Amino acid sequence: MTATPVLQLRQLARTHGSGPTEVHALRPLDLDVFPGELVAVMGPSGSGKSTLLTLAGGLDAPTSGTVTVEGTDLTTASRRDVAALRRRAIGYVFQDYNLIPALTAAENIALPRELDGIRAKKARTEALAALDEMGLADIADRFPDEISGGQQQRTAIARALVGDRRLVLADEPTGALDSETGESVLAVLRARCDAGAAGILVTHEPRFAAWADRVVFLRDGEVVDQTLRSDASALLTPGAAQ
Amino acid sequence: MSGPLSGRLTGWRAALRIARRDARRHKGRSALVLAMIALPIFGVAAADITIRSSDPSEEQQLQRDYGAADGRLSFPGVGRGERPVYQHPDGWDAVPVKKDRGGDAKQRDERPEPSDLKAVMPPGAHWLSDQRAATRVRTEHGVLRVHVRELKLADPMARGIATLLRGRYPKTTGEVAATQAFLDSSGLRVGSTLRPVEGGRAYRITGAYELPGSLNNKQLSALPGAMIRTDGSKPNDGVDRLGYLVSVPGAYTWDMVKETNTHGIVVTSKAVLLDPPPESEVPFYRKSPGMRPGAYEPTSDQALVLTIAVTVVGLAILEICLLAGPAFAVGARRQRRQLGLLGAQGGDRRHIRSVVLSGGLVIGVAAAVLGLALAIGATALARPLIEERLHTRFSSFDLPPLELAGIAGLAVLTGLLAALFPAIAAARQSVLSSLTGRRGVRRSSRVLPIVGFIAIGVGVAIAIAGATLTDRVEVVGIGSGIAELGLVALTPFLVGLFGRLGRILPLSPRLALRDAVRNRGRTAPAVAAVLAAVAGSVAVATYTASVDQQRRDEYAPSAPHGVVSVQMERGTGRTADRVGDAVEQNLKTTGRADVGHLSVGGVTCGGLSGGGSKCGGATVVVPEGNDCPLHYGGDEKLSAAERQKMMKSWQCNPPQTPHIPMMAGMDVLVGGTDVLKALGVQDRQAYAALERGHAVSFTQRYIKDDRITLAVFKKEQDYYNADDGDPDTTKKADRTIPLPAHHLRGQDEIYGVNVLLPPAAVTKAGLDHQNFGAYFRTDRLPTDAETQALSSAFNELNVNPILHVEKGYKSDSNNVLLALTLFAALVTLGAAGIATGLAQADAEPDLRTLAAVGAGTRVRRTLSGLQCGLIAAMGVVLGSIAGLIPAIGLRKAEERRKLADYAETLGNGWGGEPHIPIAIPWETLAGLLLVVPLGAALLAALVTRSRIPLLRRGEG
Repeated sequence: MTATPVLQLRQLARTHGSGPTEVHALRPLDLDVFPGELVAVMGPSGSGKSTLLTLAGGLDAPTSGTVTVEGTDLTTASRRDVAALRRRAIGYVFQDYNLIPALTAAENIALPRELDGIRAKKARTEALAALDEMGLADIADRFPDEISGGQQQRTAIARALVGDRRLVLADEPTGALDSETGESVLAVLRARCDAGAAGILVTHEPRFAAWADRVVFLRDGEVVDQTLRSDASALLTPGAAQ
Repeated sequence: MSGPLSGRLTGWRAALRIARRDARRHKGRSALVLAMIALPIFGVAAADITIRSSDPSEEQQLQRDYGAADGRLSFPGVGRGERPVYQHPDGWDAVPVKKDRGGDAKQRDERPEPSDLKAVMPPGAHWLSDQRAATRVRTEHGVLRVHVRELKLADPMARGIATLLRGRYPKTTGEVAATQAFLDSSGLRVGSTLRPVEGGRAYRITGAYELPGSLNNKQLSALPGAMIRTDGSKPNDGVDRLGYLVSVPGAYTWDMVKETNTHGIVVTSKAVLLDPPPESEVPFYRKSPGMRPGAYEPTSDQALVLTIAVTVVGLAILEICLLAGPAFAVGARRQRRQLGLLGAQGGDRRHIRSVVLSGGLVIGVAAAVLGLALAIGATALARPLIEERLHTRFSSFDLPPLELAGIAGLAVLTGLLAALFPAIAAARQSVLSSLTGRRGVRRSSRVLPIVGFIAIGVGVAIAIAGATLTDRVEVVGIGSGIAELGLVALTPFLVGLFGRLGRILPLSPRLALRDAVRNRGRTAPAVAAVLAAVAGSVAVATYTASVDQQRRDEYAPSAPHGVVSVQMERGTGRTADRVGDAVEQNLKTTGRADVGHLSVGGVTCGGLSGGGSKCGGATVVVPEGNDCPLHYGGDEKLSAAERQKMMKSWQCNPPQTPHIPMMAGMDVLVGGTDVLKALGVQDRQAYAALERGHAVSFTQRYIKDDRITLAVFKKEQDYYNADDGDPDTTKKADRTIPLPAHHLRGQDEIYGVNVLLPPAAVTKAGLDHQNFGAYFRTDRLPTDAETQALSSAFNELNVNPILHVEKGYKSDSNNVLLALTLFAALVTLGAAGIATGLAQADAEPDLRTLAAVGAGTRVRRTLSGLQCGLIAAMGVVLGSIAGLIPAIGLRKAEERRKLADYAETLGNGWGGEPHIPIAIPWETLAGLLLVVPLGAALLAALVTRSRIPLLRRGEG
């Protein structure tokens, strides 16, 4: 892949505490995610999967290293710029509680656009289009507690990609779903990446990781393995694992 | 729209939408905060509407006063007809143009005839006779004094003065109409016959009406000449006020008024009242410059009222913010995940703040709408009740738009202010910790305690300076206020101090305390809210209780508790025995002690005059050395120290005179041992002395060497000129009589009695005596019905004696203290309850952990009960301390002022040493310190669900 990566992590590390209570949540790692690519991150509990994702999305600041999203270095950007970047470039999907209960499905999708100052009407039109694309047009005016878990997660994915956002960070998006619904949600995510988005999927189920182009294995904050879905022996970014 | 502004607005729109829906989703919490803000708004708005509606405009007031007439003519009596006057533009005062030579007293009662008026009135004028007086009429219950207005109310010129309710206005001189207030009070009805006490005529009541501006006015209306006599026989009491309503073509201008003044007639003109002439055109002001408008403007009072109002409103907003703030903090805490999601979607701090602030805005607006709607609705519904209570009809249902908008704005402001700190706190949380539900313990501000300490220091210094260096009560008030705000700022720090108690407590209270201390952010506002409310209540309660104690100490009873005393008015003493009988017949008495006075010049001579000029009088002389040397200028030889010492001596500290003493001004009462018994005298020697024919002196003032001296005057004038303390009294007297006497000791109260003489001693001294009253002992206080029956018995005897039932000191502050305790208790419960709700929202993970390690379900109840009780306890302890200090400071400042006055008057030889006690309202304090925290704890424990909700995975 010769295109510019949407997400570029360089020597990214995160340490909690200091001295005897020091915990290395993530040891220095490099990772690029290109447009149209879906990367799965796997590993046992406490391996640093979620830390990787929160750092990539600018929800947490690294101890060292850089995070570059669409050419902007999050580690040097102001808090406000990082928030703006989340509105315009990064989309999050969590395991549950993804949607704001006080807003309808359409309003949830329109939220980042509205926060960004887009007129409510235009934001809603975009949201409806996104829902339609997901085959969810009929739930537009329902509240999160009135729709199923699968519909909620698909709405969350739609929200994560509304506007010009090209980076989806999904943290166990299928964790609270049955396997069939989980597969359908993953299908949607895969389709969005095929359409040009870049995605990171944190999961501990190999079944779901199979939807990714690449799988990164973490243990104790370190990348222990990276495999192509098609060719497990090839490492895309040499030097990252060791 | 585009650009940063439109972006901001769009962001706010989304925030408002979330807040609105959240408010609807959490109905309980929203309703609580809504009620907290809407209730005061309701009260203020209702008061505003009531005041504005009941306060008539100037035109409306003039219509109520003068109907459709253009004005009213009156005759000031300073110069009528021939003698011109200058009048005040309002018509309430006038002076003669030339100096009055007197002799016009007779003219006051003269009433100008319409034919006289014709010559002096402007052409085309009409007038309507309008005369007012007071008279007494018989009612179903007795006799009532009423106002009479002789005005043809049915005339178009009088329209607007009264409203006819039933029947019709009188058409003949044998008819009257009556106000509803009169009918209600008298028991008479439309159609009844009305009989004045004097005059012998009877009238039929043909109608009921009301005066819109004074619904409680007991008034009768009759045709001119029907009731008020002006022929000099005057069956009406009160001063008659003659006048005419007058109507002219156009308006009664100031020039016309001045023209009318030249005939000695004063005009109150509507046109002039509405548009007063310039000062230069009012000759009256030249004669009475003090009456100029603006000569006296009580602006300082207005400023004071404004200051108090602003302070009260400010404190109320602070209190509501402190109470509602934690509720918003609960909201923000419960929506933490939601706010985290908002952050994850790109919401920055501004967006998070605006979501929480929008909550305040939504509730504030809802409270404004609800409060105003309730106020308008309730005022409209309760209008008849309010009108009856205020004794005035609403002139209109007035909804002042600016004021109501201001009140609504206050509600919105309160909502926003209450949400401000939770909003800032929520925005400070990192998105990650919001999302993962990690509970970081927020360190409380380091600046706040310093500010608090400084404010307390400065406030206390000002208060102490106010109490010790000056006597200015307001300085103490300001100082206390600053110190109290400082204490509020210091609350987080103080809450931290409480945490040290944790080590010695068992598990549940330890957990509750630690939790409260670790989460000062939510504990402190609740404790501060309790503190502020309790401090205010305790301060007022302590001050009230102290003033009450002072009044109790200063109260001088007229007789022991339950004793009824009756005494005749001047010169009517001869019926005293029959009056006494009437008391015994109508009240349940257990003993009677007749009391008499000395008569000099024959039995018919009354002690307080009434016998005529041949009567004299007798007084007890104060022996030398018994009088206060500071009186009569005898203190000039004394140094200040001696004077001060003397001030404290018994000579200069006479016992308090009760409000209604037996025969005020009389030194000597004549009576037997039954009087001693009625007055509860225990001294057996006093009984023996009286039986031996000796006098009993209740005070040391009159007795010396076991003797008292009576000075007898044959002439009434000499008697009146005599002064018991004057050393020359014995020389001026026609005769002096020394009598053996016993000094009554061991008596706390002497009930205003100075010397009691047995009848035998009076006779032996060659004097007469006559009963004028009596004391009656009772087992219980007379009922209202018994007292009314006695009044009617007195009526039948045609006497009007002074009846007094000694009920002891009646405190009127009990209700105040109770109301304050309840207010503080309510605020405490509210604040503690809200903070407990907040604590519970936070404590879920702890409770799950507790359950996991085997704690029973009761732990949850116990914990929330203790959390609630703890907050209440911390608040009331700090609040009580904070409240006692300013109250004591205020009393000390008062004492200082009184002492300064005392020092100043010391040289004058009068004025007692000030007594400014400080009473601690123990009942109020006990209620607040013990009952309220316990109640709060129990209530919280009772309403808490003991089931622990299922665990949901919150971390990614």
